[in-house]
Amino acid sequence: MLRLRVGFILIAMVVSVFGARLFQLQGIDPKAYAARAEAVGLQTITLPATRGSIVDRNGEPLAESADGLMVVADPMMTVDDAREIARIVAEDLDVDYFETLDRLRRPDTRFQYLARRVPAPDARALVERLEELGYEGVDTRRDPVRSYPSDDVAANVVGFVAGDGEAKQGFEKIFDQQLAGKDGTATYETGGGQRLPLGDNSVDPPVDGEDLTLTIDRDVQWYTQRVLRQAVEDARGESGSAVVLDSRTGEILALADHPTFDANQPMLASKNDMWPRSLFDVYEPGSVQKVLTAASLVDAGKVTPDTRITVPGQIQRQDRTIGDYWDHGRLRLTLTGVIAKSSNIGTVLAADEFSPKELYDYLSGFGLGQVPGLGYPGESGGLLPSWKTWSQINQDTIAFGQGVSVTALQMATAVNAIANGGVLVEPSLVKGSATTSGGAVVGTETSSSRRVVSESAARMTAEMMEAVTDPEEGTAPAAAIEGYRVAGKTGTAQRVGEECGCYDGTFTVSFAGFAPADDPRFVVYVVVQDPKNGGGGGSIGGPAFHEIMSYLLRKYAVPPTGAPAPDNPVEW
Amino acid sequence: MSTPLSQPRSRVPRIAEAAVERARLSVVPRTTRRAPKVPFVTLVSLLLFGGIAGLLLFNTTMQQSSFVASSMEVQAAELAGKEESLRMELDRLRDPQTVAAKAKRLGMVPSDNPAFLRLADGKVLGRPTVAEPSTGFRITPPPPVKPESLRPRTVIAEVPEANRGDGERADSARRSSTRRDSARRAGSRRDTTAGSGAASRARGAERRTTGRDRNGADRSGRAR
Repeated sequence: MLRLRVGFILIAMVVSVFGARLFQLQGIDPKAYAARAEAVGLQTITLPATRGSIVDRNGEPLAESADGLMVVADPMMTVDDAREIARIVAEDLDVDYFETLDRLRRPDTRFQYLARRVPAPDARALVERLEELGYEGVDTRRDPVRSYPSDDVAANVVGFVAGDGEAKQGFEKIFDQQLAGKDGTATYETGGGQRLPLGDNSVDPPVDGEDLTLTIDRDVQWYTQRVLRQAVEDARGESGSAVVLDSRTGEILALADHPTFDANQPMLASKNDMWPRSLFDVYEPGSVQKVLTAASLVDAGKVTPDTRITVPGQIQRQDRTIGDYWDHGRLRLTLTGVIAKSSNIGTVLAADEFSPKELYDYLSGFGLGQVPGLGYPGESGGLLPSWKTWSQINQDTIAFGQGVSVTALQMATAVNAIANGGVLVEPSLVKGSATTSGGAVVGTETSSSRRVVSESAARMTAEMMEAVTDPEEGTAPAAAIEGYRVAGKTGTAQRVGEECGCYDGTFTVSFAGFAPADDPRFVVYVVVQDPKNGGGGGSIGGPAFHEIMSYLLRKYAVPPTGAPAPDNPVEW
Repeated sequence: MSTPLSQPRSRVPRIAEAAVERARLSVVPRTTRRAPKVPFVTLVSLLLFGGIAGLLLFNTTMQQSSFVASSMEVQAAELAGKEESLRMELDRLRDPQTVAAKAKRLGMVPSDNPAFLRLADGKVLGRPTVAEPSTGFRITPPPPVKPESLRPRTVIAEVPEANRGDGERADSARRSSTRRDSARRAGSRRDTTAGSGAASRARGAERRTTGRDRNGADRSGRAR
């Protein structure tokens, strides 16, 4: 009996010790212990998905993802050895010595960037080298991710991804869903900071983003951007756009805007330069519109290229006087001559054959006032007022391109309809098809086409446009390419000022054209806003057109057709 | 068993009792012998030790291969990084701007008029023209214009006749002597928040070509 009692008491004592310990663990401070348990338990890390590349039509990268590092310094630690460190950093990373020196010595800060987006091995090698030499205070941080190998080439279209990984502009943002992919996770058991080989282990692999292929040709885009930049700068213009279309497919080979920005350094650019002006900036097209009016008139059977028009020095319409850009007396021009010399009066007189509705229907057939639908949210469709509101003067000015507004892409597309035998092909920027974040499917696969004018009307209009580049008769001899038949049209339009809402005395100059004129392959449209050197469409747009078109013909190996140029009379 | 035996016991006189006793049935002793213990114990011990040793070996190999795996992972990451940096380098070299700058440095100019030679009959298509430096276009933006207040006043000094004539070399010598200053100036002109290696590299190249551009333009200007 005694033994039993003693045993019972012993057991009771042990159990109460357990109870006390249990209370201590669970009752007094359970959270600290749970946290400690967690620390030695499962660990989850994010496996970042690789963002898809944006490539041009030949697969050349316009935007790609890379695993980079930034090199940063703590000036508090580097100030003493700044000279030596700066020398090594400048040597290895090819950054400016003085700038680096300055940053390494900067007071009152413990964080300075020395170089950003450095390839990971280079950055690690640099830090290792510095450590070996005994210099401290230089370190690396992960610096993803997006690299734009050609800096500003097509930056207006591609946009950029900000430093925090958020897509900010352009196609990066519009096709973010497709490009971003989905991050994965890896969960594993750790002990003492080491991964346990036989512990729990599960991996949810990341889904990489899909590539996006554009119709843009990087080389053409670069060339176009440089030519456009020179054109805008030489004319001391405010801005400019240039569009290059493949006539047959409507694919946009280049969409250049100036000023633009460097996608690798978006912070240095003005926000206004980050979107494609060629899709958003609306302006009055001016005389380039005359070819649309002429093509419509020819298609309706109202006129032919040889129709004789007597052009007075000026004409009175309602309360307004319409004149030409040059002073002249009574001229006897054919319709070809009207286009070649870009006569407003001649165009107005020819357009008198049309009722407002007829002209309106043709022009909206050419895509004026309609959104092209490239997938950009808020893309502009310009403005073509309804024919019901037209008075006589409206029809007159619309016929020669005032009182109607367009974007550069719209105008290029409309001119392309003439180049493409009267069939308007909707332009596209995406090869194949892709879905925007807004849910719209865009791309070459979904692009449609429609006939606007007959094939013969288009051919006759193209022949009239050839007279524009004629060295004697035309307004833009600088656009001609020797040996080739080149069709084109200049445009010099008054600009509506933003403040007053009226013509403020500034101009928009442009040139649209295609070559070879009898078998068009490319349409090039160049527009410069507010040039201050007194030039017009022929002297500013013409040479730029010449440069770009020569390059296209050379690059795509398009020989001259060899057919003789038409010799339509311009006067009678 | 006892029932059949009880009768003879009562009938038969107790003779040859010993023989009878002997003839009695009795339990046969077990013929099978117990298996020897040693082999069994040996086997079990072997299994045990083998198991333990195997487990140990297995663990060791697991550890070993996990070390190998992690070191190979590091190697793979390094190689991937190297590949990536080489690819980026290649991209940079293939960038049209870089190619154009190099071509320009070699004195190449874009052709003004496309022309083709048809191999079939040796016919020239298009009108070939000589490309002039003046027909090219600028591949770099003009240098930013300094505000009037920062521009030092130009001092015009008469150069003695004897020192004239080698403007180019004198110019380059002057440039190299003021390289430090110009570098410093360029540094201050640039942004001070972000500077990428590649970008500054490109800008460095641009600076150089800008200088050349200006010379080229000057030359062509004089030529005209």
